[in-house]
Amino acid sequence: MAQVQTDTDKKLDKKMSAKNIKRVLTYLKPYRMKITILFLVILLSNIIMILGPYLTSIVIDQSIPNQDARQLTWIIVLYAVATLINGWASRYRLYNITLLGQDVLRDMRSDLFIHMQKLSFAFFDSQPHGKILIRVVNYINNLSNILSSGLINVLSDILSIIVTLAIMLAIDVRLTLYSLILMPVLFVATMIIKNKQRAAYDELSAKQANLNAYIHESIAGIKTTQSYTRESMNYDIFSDVSNQQREAYMKAVKAQDMLSPIVQNIATITISFIYFAGIRGLGVDVSTGILIAFVGYVNNFWNPIINVGNFYNSLVSGAVYLERVFEMMDVKPQIQDAPDAYEMPPVKGEVVFRDVTFGYTEEQNIFEHLSFHVKPGETIALVGPTGAGKSTITNLISRFYDIKDGAILVDGMDIRDVKVQSLRKEIGVMLQDTFIFSGTIMENIRYGNLEASPWDIVDAARVVRAHEFIQDLKNGYRTVVQERGSTLSAGQRQLISFARTLLADPKVLILDEATSSIDTQTEILLQEGLDRLLEGRTAFIVAHRLSTIRNSDRIFYIGDKKILESGSHEELMKKKGHYYNLYRTQSKLLKKV
Amino acid sequence: MNSIKWVWQYIRPYLFGWSWASIMVVAVALLNIVTPYVGGLIVDNVIYNGESDLLLPLLGLMLLGTFVRTILRYTYQIKFERIGQNALYQIREDLYTKLQELDFTFFNTTRVGDIMARMTGDTDAIRHAIAWLYFNVLDNIVLFVSALIVLSTIEWRLTLALLIVTPFIALFTILLSIKANGAFYEIRESFAKLNSMVEENIGGNKVVKAFANEAYEEQKFDVRNEGFKKANMDSVNISKTYLPVLETLAGFMAVISVGLGGFFVLNGMMSVGNLVAFNGLIWMLNTPMRNVGGYMNDMQRFITATYKIREMLNTKPLIPVNQKKSIQEMRGEVEFQNVSFAFADEPEHFVLSHISFRAEPGETIGILGETGSGKSTLVNMISRFFDPTEGRVLIDGEDARRWNVLDLRKQIAIVMQDVFLFSDTIKGNISYGKPSAEFEDIEQVARVADASQFIEKMPERYETYLGERGSGLSGGQRQRLSLARGLIKHPKILILDDTTSAVDMETEVKIQKGMKDVSRDTTTFIIANRISSVKNADQILIMSKGEIIERGQHEELLARKGSYYDIYQEQLGQSEVEEEEDEDGSSTD
Ligand SMILES: Nc1ncnc2c1ncn2[C@@H]1O[C@H](COP(=O)(O)OP(=O)(O)OP(=O)(O)O)[C@@H](O)[C@H]1O
Ligand SMILES: Nc1ncnc2c1ncn2[C@@H]1O[C@H](COP(=O)(O)OP(=O)(O)OP(=O)(O)O)[C@@H](O)[C@H]1O
Ligand SMILES: [Mg+2]
Ligand SMILES: [Mg+2]
Repeated sequence: MAQVQTDTDKKLDKKMSAKNIKRVLTYLKPYRMKITILFLVILLSNIIMILGPYLTSIVIDQSIPNQDARQLTWIIVLYAVATLINGWASRYRLYNITLLGQDVLRDMRSDLFIHMQKLSFAFFDSQPHGKILIRVVNYINNLSNILSSGLINVLSDILSIIVTLAIMLAIDVRLTLYSLILMPVLFVATMIIKNKQRAAYDELSAKQANLNAYIHESIAGIKTTQSYTRESMNYDIFSDVSNQQREAYMKAVKAQDMLSPIVQNIATITISFIYFAGIRGLGVDVSTGILIAFVGYVNNFWNPIINVGNFYNSLVSGAVYLERVFEMMDVKPQIQDAPDAYEMPPVKGEVVFRDVTFGYTEEQNIFEHLSFHVKPGETIALVGPTGAGKSTITNLISRFYDIKDGAILVDGMDIRDVKVQSLRKEIGVMLQDTFIFSGTIMENIRYGNLEASPWDIVDAARVVRAHEFIQDLKNGYRTVVQERGSTLSAGQRQLISFARTLLADPKVLILDEATSSIDTQTEILLQEGLDRLLEGRTAFIVAHRLSTIRNSDRIFYIGDKKILESGSHEELMKKKGHYYNLYRTQSKLLKKV
Repeated sequence: MNSIKWVWQYIRPYLFGWSWASIMVVAVALLNIVTPYVGGLIVDNVIYNGESDLLLPLLGLMLLGTFVRTILRYTYQIKFERIGQNALYQIREDLYTKLQELDFTFFNTTRVGDIMARMTGDTDAIRHAIAWLYFNVLDNIVLFVSALIVLSTIEWRLTLALLIVTPFIALFTILLSIKANGAFYEIRESFAKLNSMVEENIGGNKVVKAFANEAYEEQKFDVRNEGFKKANMDSVNISKTYLPVLETLAGFMAVISVGLGGFFVLNGMMSVGNLVAFNGLIWMLNTPMRNVGGYMNDMQRFITATYKIREMLNTKPLIPVNQKKSIQEMRGEVEFQNVSFAFADEPEHFVLSHISFRAEPGETIGILGETGSGKSTLVNMISRFFDPTEGRVLIDGEDARRWNVLDLRKQIAIVMQDVFLFSDTIKGNISYGKPSAEFEDIEQVARVADASQFIEKMPERYETYLGERGSGLSGGQRQRLSLARGLIKHPKILILDDTTSAVDMETEVKIQKGMKDVSRDTTTFIIANRISSVKNADQILIMSKGEIIERGQHEELLARKGSYYDIYQEQLGQSEVEEEEDEDGSSTD
């Protein structure tokens, strides 16, 4: 059952792990050629950047004193060419960095999505969908800058730090040490800020997820909200959630924006110190020219450090999102193919439950030691009070959940030994909750069998008596329905999802309350077609209406964590047990006024 | 411009802070110019001219300048972030309020992912504009203007020559903004599509698995994922034509400055010192020119976002929620007078035609009919989720359109056919329409709806949390919770739309018995497919294709031998025969 609510936050581990960095690198790996080229291009444009001041100094030091107009002209030409090359480089960089970033995001999102497809029902039941959505869509977007421009720029920044440091060391070791004297302070400050920032961003991401989930649920449940005039109360809750994200955001930027002023002040202090040391001695004896040059380099040294600091900053905040993404990628699918799972061959449709014990939670079992044997081609009606576990049985056959104990066999094969997908291809389930995708009616029915031709689709719709109303729609089968089929009546949605299941043409057919919202007359008509279809198939039918039930070969009356009674209608009527009572209630109710 | 005017209303409450922060931006921009200047002074005066007593004051000035500058910058950054967040908060509130006012028609035709995109992605673009773009633009303007002033005082002719480039920059910026607009629109559209696709996949995950269609979903996803990437790349393809041009043009300023300046010096029109100074400051002119393209992109993103948000804020609900209170104690009389109805998207197709009936307070009306015959639509009109196209719906003799919608709905409980439960506790779900409800009350309605039994069995009973849409419960359990949720309102009109379809018959009997006690003077509408659910009603309406084809009480309808009779026979089935056989053997209660 649901453990994660809209208003609860999950906390990340305290530490940012190196493992995640490695993992990011695997996403960059396919593009390492591109990254290298990009890196070189950026290097090139950085060199050109340095060329400008250099050319200027030549003009001032040589051309002008020498009155050399020719040299000046050449230098201008050279400078202009360099600027053009730089323009080209920036075009190349802009395009390719974006491409790289987009590629990486696409890969990551795709991986996450594919992984999500493997997760079992329990995962989706355990948290608000808005929270899953935000990871796949929004969180990943937040990473785009870090993974592209940020990363490459930081590489070139690190390179210039190293080069500058080498030059500085070559000029004067003492001064170099002086300029590094405050590094530990910077380091400590960064660490303190990092911890704060990380905690703040962690909170922010959680608040964003809460907000997202709340908005999502508000939209999805808007009809209920309006019917129950809950608007003002919801507004208050929303304000609160929204406010929480605002405050979390402020806390996060307050921490994040702290780094840059600190770095800048440290840089200025360092430079002042160098001036001071250079001019006032302090054991350093350098010439004026060297001092000026050195100060220039110290500047060159700090600028990339500021950049690296900023990158680190965004890395810390981005890491929070990244970890949430990885966290989801690490969720182990509860239903997994065994390592030696094989494709299930086409089956005849024998279904056996052998001593099955199952519960959605550890503590509570829905079934204990449930055993039954269904022969190929048999039609089984599952009846019993609500909440007895009828839908649960159908969930187990398709292996939507794994059982705790015992075995479920289809054609003698344990369903845990075969590939899940191949099993589900053999079994057609119509779930109790109908779900309609946005798209045309045609596409919705085709969902049961992607290869089906339009004729097959119309046939399936005919069987379930959906054809009539579909034809009456504005564009017939091509009518576009919105999410969850909101422009169809409930019964119509059920018919479409019924047709979809029939189209799958499975050997084992499971119909969970397939006709609960459908009127009796339509149901009768539908039943005729269905009876024909059921021939040669094993079918499990969950229904409350007895007319549906009595036609089945056998009836399982579910209750008390087991099958209380089973047998044909006649047998059970003779038994005068649960089923008999159920049946009697119905007719009695109908007759009594 | 409209966008700016629109967003301004969200900033105006913080005008004071906004102005102060803007002043700080200017101050910091100016200080940015001063610091390198002090560095220059140290080199010139202290190092070259040996005025070493100036060293400490100058260093002090530099440190102080940096200190003040960084603090001011931090202050205004946070200030703008704060204002941005406040504005964002307000915009979101407005959107949320709008969301709650909009009618079913809107939600039936708008994708959830689309609304989500507006409330997350678009609002963020606006935040970015307020909290970041604005001060950066301002900063650059200050830089540009002061550059013009300073450079002109050094050498106005050279400055003028540099300005030759600016018209080109302006031109390309404008071109970029025209082109970029469409691209950003595409980005956000494809974002919304991606969002919707994933949203739907998550919502329908059970169906996906049931048909083992994971690969198909991945294919669908790839299209959206690629589409989003492509939209981004399309935008870059535009940017890559213009941004580098802008950057190169800005770069040419430096070339002109060195080149032309060099010739000026050669011709004695300018001193070397001035050329050095001029070149030292050229970055001030350069930087804003370099940045302008990027800012323009952000601006376009902002405009697209405001456009989408304003579009939603301007949507007029078909059923206006007027705030004026017209509290009226409802008696619960409902009358339909010749009501016909067609949905807005298919105005010529009437879903209901000429519906007339009257329900006295406290009566029970049963509605039976074919799938899609308009039963749900009909009852939705009582709560005024739709207004009749023709005819009138009267509540207590008053046209429903004249009622205050909220007052009206407060006294009506509609238990919808599509059960929607929230990811909240069971208690929270039951008391959804009446958050102030006493716990005893909750327990009582749960008992009436025959839900207390299974709730009590849960480990945390009423405090048990449900998953999305009530996952974790069986279909019938969900229906009963939603019934309890309707009952707790103690409404004057209670509408049960197919509320017991997933409930077994025995349970239904229990529920019906319990309801008799609590809803004695409630007008009750029961839509059902089972005769047993409606047969005790004071009036039964049989619907077909949007019309009432039969009406009356159970006995009358049976006597008429129309379609009600057919349904009855069908549901009774052959059981009658067997029943007779059994009757003598077993004792009936
Ligand atoms: N995902 C789940 N997590 C935890 N418990 C669940 C979950 N789904 C169902 N249950 C519980 O398991 C029991 C059996 O549920 P199931 O859906 O199988 O009932 P059912 O017989 O199909 O009832 P109905 O006729 O109402 O559909 C119920 O008590 C229900 O609360
Ligand atoms: N939002 C909508 N826009 C357009 N058509 C709609 C919309 N909602 C319902 N319809 C159509 O109106 C008709 C009546 O729908 P309604 O939901 O009232 O049927 P119903 O009698 O409740 O059926 P059911 O027994 O299946 O619930 C159906 O044909 C349906 O397709
Ligand atoms: Mg069920
Ligand atoms: Mg309906």
